[in-house]
Amino acid sequence: MELELLLALLMFLTAIGALLAGYPVALTLGGVALLFALFGITLGVFPEPLLLSLPSRIQGGSIMQNETLIAVPLFVLMGVILERSRVAEDLLHIAGRLLGRMRGGLGYAVVLVGALLAASTGIVGATVITMTLIALPTMLAQKYDPKLATGTIAASGTLGQIIPPSIVLILLADAVSNAASQAANEMGIGSFVVSVGDLFAGALIPGLLLVGLYLSWIAVTAILKPEACPPVIDDDSPPLTGKEVAYGLGAPLFLIIAVLGAILSGVATPTEAASIGVAGALLLAGLRLSEAGDALLVRIIAGAFAALLFILVIRNVMDLRLGVATTDAITLVGIAVIVVSAILFLAGTVAGMIILHRRGFLSLALKSGVHITSMVFLILIGASLFSLVFRGFGGDDMVADLLHAIPGGRWGALIGAMLVMFVLGFFLDFIEIVFVVVPLVTPPLIIMGFDPVWLGILMALNLQTSFLTPPFGFALFYLRGAAPGSVQTIEIWRGALPFIGLQLLMILAVAFIPQLATWLPSLQAN
Amino acid sequence: MDPQVFLTFGSFLKWIGIVASPVLLLPLLILVIPGPLHKAGQTLADGLDRSLDWVLRAAMLAAVLLFMLQLIVVIGSYALALTATWLSESVIYAFAAMFMLGAATALRDDAHVRVDILRPRFGENGRNWIELAGTYLLLFPICIRLLMAGEQGLTRSWTLFEGSRESDGLPILFLFKTLVPIFAVLLILAGLSVALKAALRLTGFAGSDDETTPQERHYGA
Repeated sequence: MELELLLALLMFLTAIGALLAGYPVALTLGGVALLFALFGITLGVFPEPLLLSLPSRIQGGSIMQNETLIAVPLFVLMGVILERSRVAEDLLHIAGRLLGRMRGGLGYAVVLVGALLAASTGIVGATVITMTLIALPTMLAQKYDPKLATGTIAASGTLGQIIPPSIVLILLADAVSNAASQAANEMGIGSFVVSVGDLFAGALIPGLLLVGLYLSWIAVTAILKPEACPPVIDDDSPPLTGKEVAYGLGAPLFLIIAVLGAILSGVATPTEAASIGVAGALLLAGLRLSEAGDALLVRIIAGAFAALLFILVIRNVMDLRLGVATTDAITLVGIAVIVVSAILFLAGTVAGMIILHRRGFLSLALKSGVHITSMVFLILIGASLFSLVFRGFGGDDMVADLLHAIPGGRWGALIGAMLVMFVLGFFLDFIEIVFVVVPLVTPPLIIMGFDPVWLGILMALNLQTSFLTPPFGFALFYLRGAAPGSVQTIEIWRGALPFIGLQLLMILAVAFIPQLATWLPSLQAN
Repeated sequence: MDPQVFLTFGSFLKWIGIVASPVLLLPLLILVIPGPLHKAGQTLADGLDRSLDWVLRAAMLAAVLLFMLQLIVVIGSYALALTATWLSESVIYAFAAMFMLGAATALRDDAHVRVDILRPRFGENGRNWIELAGTYLLLFPICIRLLMAGEQGLTRSWTLFEGSRESDGLPILFLFKTLVPIFAVLLILAGLSVALKAALRLTGFAGSDDETTPQERHYGA
């Protein structure tokens, strides 16, 4: 083997070894790559200018000026604001009261709440931990089989990765679209376009089908093993308050319609919709957390909702495009109303922030927003250093050759790539896999003739499954950390198994019926 | 204004950095002779942490600006078909500032993802040693290399007072590009604070790290 390739291989293995030491992943990936690059320069097998290009890469369109990824911090902010406004608690309370009396009812409640949270907040760790803290003790007290209870919670929590808007899908869209244009370049054809909107649309049907599969599994269990999920008999939870119902159901539904609706109908890009989502989350959180002293702020928030309505109505009945429309008196009035409404809307979000601040939640939410975002982007920086060096050694050609060498043609290559991602998913977060592995394996797969959007959805389902797979699935770690000690780890692991089976079923379904993933995006394109 | 003033100031900062760089060895010295140095180490770590609090505040402000500016862009383009390059560029600037400034405090507050499989088994001393090794072998080399590799491009950018390529864009691209060395310096400072605390724990001059169960700490996206 040539020296460069040997170094590329060694670098990959060293990185995996070093990651196990437990130093932050982003710096481990970048640092190991840098040491190997310096070593390669000494040996004369690594082009030094490549390393000098690092600052301009960080400043450029792939990281600091990456317009696609602006949606990430915005969706993160939306999620942390909703989390602080206790929407998960309200939803679980409502669903538990409504469905609890049914056999398997608490299970249905967890799945449905997981799906609603996935479509609004989408932060897996937070969802699993909240549901474990609130729903698990209730389920155990009602004599639910711990295996069924924990499996349901872990699986429903991971829905946040596959049901849009999801951070995984945004990052995947960025990686897959880079890979697709690279592949198009090598094939000498025009370019494939893969947008975040495509992956959101593509993931919607598989995501909803997964919800259906989880619900049916609980229904089957309720029939075959009724003692595993008994109905709630003596409900000692406090009765529902109007505010809880209005907020708990209203907030997620409002945000889902506003954000997902805007993206899927093509009215707004994911980034634009995400900023509307943050605004909505602030307004709703302000209403939910308001107390007697906040009357003025609440009135401003109510005004903001009215302003939103004004903007929507006026925009759709009048042509106010500046420079295009005629400038008669009515148009001017329309513009004035729009400007005033916009200011009122912004004031409403500020009022929401003030209420959050008064409850002491604003800086907590902003801090975790900043930290989660920095975590994601530091990995992006470390991983791009890693990929840069790996490519400098010719490692990308090696990966392509390996994929071609797998028996079974393009399907063999696909299965090989998926297995590697699945195994890496045990101990790496999805972010590292998306930034390191996806750019390496996707271009060859696209050149072999697979559809980029379909590949992206398969990868997302695959990563979601590895989040759920013992012994190292992240969702199971979160659950273990928040579950009472009386629940044994082995029960958690066994509880996840049936849901992994359902996941595999879904992956196979998408693999053999590609329309499940490609039909909605194709509608959107027309 | 004459760019030469800023370039002189820039090389002045660079020399301050080079002269101050031996301080980065303080954690290692504490390991060798803890007695006389632990006080200095503790003071420095506390000072660094307090200064980083201000950086965190700046990053949080960038987060608010990001959302507000993006919202204004959306309303403007949706309702009035107004677009302005300088406005969409300021969204990008706020976006980049949020994580380029936030990365350092995320390191200080242990918010970066780690692989947690073997971590609990290393014991407390093992974890402190890994923290020290990672800081010196991985973190510092990356940041120093980033500073060195960026010097030339940054000098050119400041010489030209490089602005946006668009005529109605922001004229401060050179400040945007300066975020990269700022990011590197902040990470070095946060790394120094982490390494100091690890060294103090190893020599028994600081309480044990309250390592909670690994799964609780890393909240994920």
